[in-house]
Amino acid sequence: MKLSISGVGKNFGAVRALDRVDLDIAPGEFVTLIGPSGCGKSTLFNMLAGLLEPDAGGSILLDGKAGALLGRTAFMPQRDLLLPWRNVLDNALLPCEIEGLPRASSRARAEKMAVDFGLRGFEKHYPQQLSGGMRQRVALMRTFMFERDLMLLDEPFGALDALTRSMMQRWLLDIWERYRRTILFITHDIDEAIFLADRVVVMSTRPGRIKLDRPIELPRPRDAHLLTAPEFTAIKRELLDAVEEESLKSFSA
Amino acid sequence: MLRAALPILLLFALWEAAVIGLAIDPFYLPSIRVVAAAMQAQAPFYLDAYLVTLSEAALGFAMGGLVGVGSALLFTRLPVVKDMVLPIFIVSQTVPVIAFGAIVVLWFGNTLMAKAAIAFYLTFFPVTINTLAGIAAVDPRQVALLRSFGARQGAIMRKLLLPSALPRIFTALRLSASLALAGAIVGEWFGATRGVGAMLLAAMFNEQIVSLWASILVAAAVGGTLFAAVALAERAMVFWREEL
Ligand SMILES: Nc1ncnc2c1ncn2[C@@H]1O[C@H](COP(=O)(O)OP(=O)(O)OP(=O)(O)O)[C@@H](O)[C@H]1O
Ligand SMILES: [Mg+2]
Repeated sequence: MKLSISGVGKNFGAVRALDRVDLDIAPGEFVTLIGPSGCGKSTLFNMLAGLLEPDAGGSILLDGKAGALLGRTAFMPQRDLLLPWRNVLDNALLPCEIEGLPRASSRARAEKMAVDFGLRGFEKHYPQQLSGGMRQRVALMRTFMFERDLMLLDEPFGALDALTRSMMQRWLLDIWERYRRTILFITHDIDEAIFLADRVVVMSTRPGRIKLDRPIELPRPRDAHLLTAPEFTAIKRELLDAVEEESLKSFSA
Repeated sequence: MLRAALPILLLFALWEAAVIGLAIDPFYLPSIRVVAAAMQAQAPFYLDAYLVTLSEAALGFAMGGLVGVGSALLFTRLPVVKDMVLPIFIVSQTVPVIAFGAIVVLWFGNTLMAKAAIAFYLTFFPVTINTLAGIAAVDPRQVALLRSFGARQGAIMRKLLLPSALPRIFTALRLSASLALAGAIVGEWFGATRGVGAMLLAAMFNEQIVSLWASILVAAAVGGTLFAAVALAERAMVFWREEL
């Protein structure tokens, strides 16, 4: 699904959270979004998910068409927000239930998908019985079960330790190749942003704007060795400079 | 089961030890063995009182629980109704239960429904308030997530708000279990001939100390039964809470 964002801004009372954001995303693309804390990344996602209206003048088009966005994109918020009274499978089935899809076929699909998501044998477990990495995979699986071409993932691996995180990154790329969705992915981790993306978008300090839009032409499939390759470090240096500049601004502001 | 029985047995042992050890006048506290013997001698009579009061309290409790939860859901769905009706609920609670009981017995006569109505009167309000508090405490990000899946009010209510509020609903229900018993007993004070409340009154007026203590034990049994039922339901429905 093609996404076109143009002139999207947001004020919260006197706080200008997001300035004018223009961004186009092609079908099947994996775009990562980095920027200082509080620059309006989650706010942008909330607007893309239809939970929040952009200020007048901004437009969000899906496949060139405007219209209600609620229920059009698969949104994964910053927290896993699993329901403690539902087991793994039932948590993942939540969006299908809300959509009113036939129960048996959704369930069969979820059981198959649980294998891909490394949750086999844990289908009947409750969120409280899972590790942080597993909870995150359940939340991600729930997002995949909501079959939408555009996925919005807000720091899905933010709370994980470095080791689990790099495993999850490779795993997500694998899943992405298999299910082929368009992904917009927020992160604070520059390595992660480069490793995953077709394009890294850097945002400025609040009020957030697009500061840099850097295509990543590294070959796929990608593996852990890439992180130490010279091409990778060159891109990283470039992005670090941009991010550093913004972070300094946010501290002196 | 054993965990519940043990403290009770311990209490009885203490009671007996105190009566014997401190040589307490039976007028103030008769021996538990004497009380037990009296209850055994008139078992059908005490069993009848237990069942009568239990059904009154349970009926009122069930109505109070349903109306409490139902009204809170309605208030959440239609805030206008909440603004109109909740103040009436609050004012209703300022009428003392005794005054309310007199009116209800006038209306319903000496029926099961009259006592249940009084039990209901004492129970629904804490349930309403706690259900509302439970719903208010739901994480708005959780609601946003469901909305992003295209969920409407009804689905959000069923799949998120109500289950999230369950722990607080059960807190209220446990409180309401003993209130329902108090309501049923008060209801029986307006001329009932059967039930724990009637038995208590008769024992008091006739200074039948043993019978008075026996009535208290029967009342405790009714309260314990209601409480145990709530606790069982809670364990089945709110199984996730202890792990939070
Ligand atoms: N509902 C709201 N009401 C008022 N202000 C808000 C609201 N939501 C966000 N903000 C403000 O808007 C700004 C951007 O917030 P947002 O959550 O989008 O940042 P972010 O880039 O996602 O930050 P982080 O990286 O820490 O998650 C912040 O200053 C925040 O305080
Ligand atoms: Mg955020």
